[in-house]
Amino acid sequence: MTATMERPAAPETTGGAPMIDRAEGWRRRAPLLPALIFTIIVTQIPFILTLWYSLQSWNLVRPGSQEFVWFSNYADVFADSQFRTVALNTVIMTLGSVLIAVVLGLLLALLLNRQFVGRGVVRTLLITPFLITPVAAALLWKTVLLDPTLGLINFVLTPFGASGTEWISNYPLASVMAALIWQWTPFMMLLLLAGLQSMPTDQLEAARVDGASAWSTFRELTLPHLRRFIELGVVLGTIYLVNIFDQVYMMTQGGPGVASANLPFYIYQRAFLGFDIGQSAAMGVVVVILTLIAANFALRLIFKSFSGEEEAA
Amino acid sequence: MAEVVFDQASRIYTPGAKPAVDSLDLTVADGDLVVLVGPSGSGKSTALRMLAGLEPIDAGSVRIDGRDVVDVPSKDRDIAMVFQNYALYPSKTVAENMAFPLKMRGMGKEERAQRVRQAAEMLGLTDFLDRKPKALSGGQRQRVAMGRAIVREPQVFLMDEPLSNLDAKMRVQTRAQIAEMQNRLAVSTVYVTHDQVEAMTMGDKVAVLADGKLQQYATPPELYDRPINSFVAGFIGSPAMNLLDLPRSSSGVTLGGIEIPLPREVSDAAGSRDRLTVGIRPEDWVLESTGSDAGSVVKAVVDVVEELGSESYLYAHLAEDTSTSIVVRGPGRVQVRFGDPIAVRPNPDALHVFDAETGQRLP
Ligand SMILES: Nc1ncnc2c1ncn2[C@@H]1O[C@H](COP(=O)(O)OP(=O)(O)OP(=O)(O)O)[C@@H](O)[C@H]1O
Ligand SMILES: [Mg+2]
Repeated sequence: MTATMERPAAPETTGGAPMIDRAEGWRRRAPLLPALIFTIIVTQIPFILTLWYSLQSWNLVRPGSQEFVWFSNYADVFADSQFRTVALNTVIMTLGSVLIAVVLGLLLALLLNRQFVGRGVVRTLLITPFLITPVAAALLWKTVLLDPTLGLINFVLTPFGASGTEWISNYPLASVMAALIWQWTPFMMLLLLAGLQSMPTDQLEAARVDGASAWSTFRELTLPHLRRFIELGVVLGTIYLVNIFDQVYMMTQGGPGVASANLPFYIYQRAFLGFDIGQSAAMGVVVVILTLIAANFALRLIFKSFSGEEEAA
Repeated sequence: MAEVVFDQASRIYTPGAKPAVDSLDLTVADGDLVVLVGPSGSGKSTALRMLAGLEPIDAGSVRIDGRDVVDVPSKDRDIAMVFQNYALYPSKTVAENMAFPLKMRGMGKEERAQRVRQAAEMLGLTDFLDRKPKALSGGQRQRVAMGRAIVREPQVFLMDEPLSNLDAKMRVQTRAQIAEMQNRLAVSTVYVTHDQVEAMTMGDKVAVLADGKLQQYATPPELYDRPINSFVAGFIGSPAMNLLDLPRSSSGVTLGGIEIPLPREVSDAAGSRDRLTVGIRPEDWVLESTGSDAGSVVKAVVDVVEELGSESYLYAHLAEDTSTSIVVRGPGRVQVRFGDPIAVRPNPDALHVFDAETGQRLP
């Protein structure tokens, strides 16, 4: 097994195939061209328009207000204390939810990785939150669980003397995060369960013979093995959650104030409720740049850990 | 260092099914290297894993140094194991791999490093201590696995086909190294292999298993010279012993028209059986000239000739009974080719005789 799991030598991209000339190269690429053009049209043109709008002062409720102002929108964005709050909210909401979901997912995965009666049923039940439409999930949390008078949470807590808590108004960010974590824990659990099940049993047996306790085995062997799965989960979860809109919109409308707003929601508010096209375009551009930087690091991390650094042996 | 005893030990994987290891009785004397050998699925790994504490012992008991270990977890049995695929920890360096069992036993950093250095020197791994396992060759990985076992200075070494991932030359070389090291450390060792050459060359004693049952437990020469049944006779030795099912005659058995006399005690033990399984090793045939008198030699026709340089093996079928094939060892250079007739005579002092039904050795 060890020998065959070695990474194959990098395929020879240049040496093997005969050189193809320019015309032949274009002939081969031509069938892909429509898709490329389509992608450019639907992604890059809006982006360029956004860049253009971001340099203008333009509010839809004041017709004829459109005017070229260079970078003053950007200056406003960075001066806007609400934008900074919202940016911080986004980081907390995204990373907080992802990390908590990973930890919970890991615990559940460890549980499901052992044999017990009814494991299949438990696994299915644990996965279901991931299958629910985000909007429906948000509604469920808002009404069925967190409602101050009708919610199940308060109902359960009543015997402990904690009835009537206004969860969503008092802890808006935490409430949204709870809903996000509930939806994303199953995803992390599945990913980590796959990781656990790919752990070679002979290594675990060797650890047993070597005298490792359950905790040492977990810390010294299982966790390093799971590292790349955890990284993958964090990166994928972050990519999804940084854009999340449904839960914020449904549960809190970003409020009170901007206490639970994240960047997508705040930009939406600015563009479609405040009708300030220039401002929101500038924010959009800032967010895209920040996300690109973050994603670049994240993707590098994934490629590094999945390039088979410790694949063999 | 310790004596290991299997006492009627059994392992039944699925209730109701045939035991994978069936009432195994085996004693490994202190400091001995005992090889468990047998065909695939005979229960060798299972027996070893029972000793390691990786499989429960469903019946009987296993004792290490007089202590019953049936309910003792692996880590408290004071054993070290080398796995077939080495089971190195991929996220740890060679040094960390070797130090792991020591660390788990709470040994201090200094002493750990010291022991690892010693073992690495012994195994020629000093230059690789900072590498990860994936940056090692198969042979080096194998040595790291050995190193991880020996740093512990355990009471018993367990090895499950540790050489099966190496190429033929490495295997021969490493085989000798392991035997030499085991001798030097004098730690009782149980070594599993399906390769009977490994078994014969390495073992102080060899246990032959088949279908979960111990067939014979003896020193290599004894196993070769006095196999206890026809299974062991056919399993030990390469090429395999010729096992021929022959009818009785007045003073012995009949083979290819000639009469082979049996020693007195054998024919006494054979009693009134009218068929016997007679085993003749390839080297126990005498090649005669084809012109020999018909009553004293067996005539055969050559199918295949294997020339190994120092000796050759002739695979042939009997002229009289074409369904019976035999293997005959000849000198290094032979003139015969496919289809040539040969004449052979079994050495009457080297016959192995077994009951045709039960396969038990007679007498
Ligand atoms: N986990 C298991 N569950 C059920 N049956 C098993 C299990 N492991 C092994 N067996 C059975 O037990 C028998 C002995 O297996 P074992 O692995 O000990 O054989 P082996 O002698 O080591 O063979 P090999 O030379 O192929 O490694 C086989 O018939 C096998 O099918
Ligand atoms: Mg085996």
